[in-house]
Amino acid sequence: MTNNSINKLKYIFLITIMIFGIAACTTQPLQEPQPEALKKVTAVLDWTPNTNHTGLYVAKDKGFFKEQGLEVEIIQPSEGTSDTIVASGKAQFGISYQESVTYARAADIPLISIAAVIQHNTSGFASLKEKNILTPKDFEGKVYGGWGSEMEEATIRYLMEQAGADFSKVTIMTTGDADFFQTSATGQIDFAWIFEGWAGIEAKQKGMELNYIDLGKEAPVFDYYTPVIITNETILKEDKALVEAFMKGVKKGYEYAIKNPEEAADILIKEVPEINQELVRESQKFLSDRYQDDAATWGVQKEEVWQRYTDWMFANGFIDKKIDVTKAFTNEFID
Amino acid sequence: MKKSENTGQNKKHRELGLSIIPAIIMVLFVFFWQAAVDFFNVQPFILPGPITVFKAIYDERNLLLTHILVTLGEALAGLGVAIFLGIVFGLLMGYCKPVRIALYPIFVITQTIPLIILAPLFAIWFGFGFLPKVIIVVLMCFFPISITFTQDLIKSDEDMDSILKVMGASKWKSFRLARIPQALPGLFSGLKIAVTYSITGAVISEWIGAKQGLGIYMTRAMTSFKTAVLFADVFIIIVLSLVLYKLVELIEKRFVKRIDYV
Repeated sequence: MTNNSINKLKYIFLITIMIFGIAACTTQPLQEPQPEALKKVTAVLDWTPNTNHTGLYVAKDKGFFKEQGLEVEIIQPSEGTSDTIVASGKAQFGISYQESVTYARAADIPLISIAAVIQHNTSGFASLKEKNILTPKDFEGKVYGGWGSEMEEATIRYLMEQAGADFSKVTIMTTGDADFFQTSATGQIDFAWIFEGWAGIEAKQKGMELNYIDLGKEAPVFDYYTPVIITNETILKEDKALVEAFMKGVKKGYEYAIKNPEEAADILIKEVPEINQELVRESQKFLSDRYQDDAATWGVQKEEVWQRYTDWMFANGFIDKKIDVTKAFTNEFID
Repeated sequence: MKKSENTGQNKKHRELGLSIIPAIIMVLFVFFWQAAVDFFNVQPFILPGPITVFKAIYDERNLLLTHILVTLGEALAGLGVAIFLGIVFGLLMGYCKPVRIALYPIFVITQTIPLIILAPLFAIWFGFGFLPKVIIVVLMCFFPISITFTQDLIKSDEDMDSILKVMGASKWKSFRLARIPQALPGLFSGLKIAVTYSITGAVISEWIGAKQGLGIYMTRAMTSFKTAVLFADVFIIIVLSLVLYKLVELIEKRFVKRIDYV
């Protein structure tokens, strides 16, 4: 009995050690051998990989980062955390939005936008065709499904007031991460805020007809930069060469994607095989023309765009002080 | 002698008969699921039928396997640490009351931490490597092991203790001879809870930031509208958890006698 029970305990310890062993074995292949003297850099995305990020994956796959002496690891973080991670320096670069950078700077978190991934805002309000929502006036009496932020409410209110509609007649519902198609097809919501180049394309794939209200065209103030590439001021100050090298690679990546949408889509699919391949191909065709759009070169940001949306955020009480927009972004690494 | 062997055989037959019931229920459930999806003509992005899901598992098998290995590695490493710590602290708390009084509330607190909310902080403190994932799995699995073990250690048969005391056994000796063996069923029920948490724990841990794993795979399927793949992923997580659970049950059957499940 005595020895028996002690043996049992020994056994449990042994199994524990074995599990350690197995775990150690399974994790070994993950640690890739380190190539000669490349500088390790981490870039965090804003959420799951998609065609907004194609340039990064192209630069990685085509060796544009390696040319610059960098080994870039691309990480998918939990949603909405890239700003904090870049601010902390755990990642040197990240994908964010003009709005988030403005929030961060108003809170004295020194993030800086170093490139606009897409020249114009490609998001807007989408609804199934049969809902007949053609302008913000038609939002009256309808249900909006979103993430539950005040920013969404204020945006909808602004658009409706501009159109002389009554904002109080809209029902705002928080649907979180539930996708637009599931919630609209089941009749739980009437309209949602989508990226035209992703959910808008997916609708076509599914053979669904949508009405789409382009945010930037509806009100120029909402033609802000989304997404942008960010770093933090400390890195900018202490290791400018790193930022230069990284951005050279990234720019080359996006320029390649602009010229070769099909190859770029294939690279993204190769690097991230989990995502919807047909969607990536169609979305890439759509976005490749829009990365640079009417700008002189890819990535350029205009002070006017920053100022306009910052003023709007301030006027609507989202930030309690106006930030100096000239410090919030730079075109230094684009030209 | 012969008689008892016979009853053993009968019991085995009866157990086999009983284990068919859940299998039948599962088959019926899958059948009705498919029938309902077909009958109501549910679009696959709202609710995919089991055939679509199994097809997704087959189509994505290579990719699934890569991610399974990553997640399994995280889960097992975390589980290993949790079992080790769970047993050590279980023994300490079971043997020594002041330790129990000191640590118990802290352990309960660890279970109230909303890990998802702390995700960005975990990424900042520990980066995106293997360590933060293991820590999250340990946080989720360690508690049930140490607590069930401790509780069984303190509520073991007191008569046995008295007898051993009369016979001149020291506190440690009677703890070792009587209490630990009697607390093994408690330890194993804690282990069973822990293994079912371990895979989910690893999946959640990947949400703080990672390159690979079932959790990453899941979010990517979700945001690119691949509902069937999402279900495939969930199915794999269930199967992995069940396999681990069964493994603990088998080990338990070997070491702890006279237990009737169900």
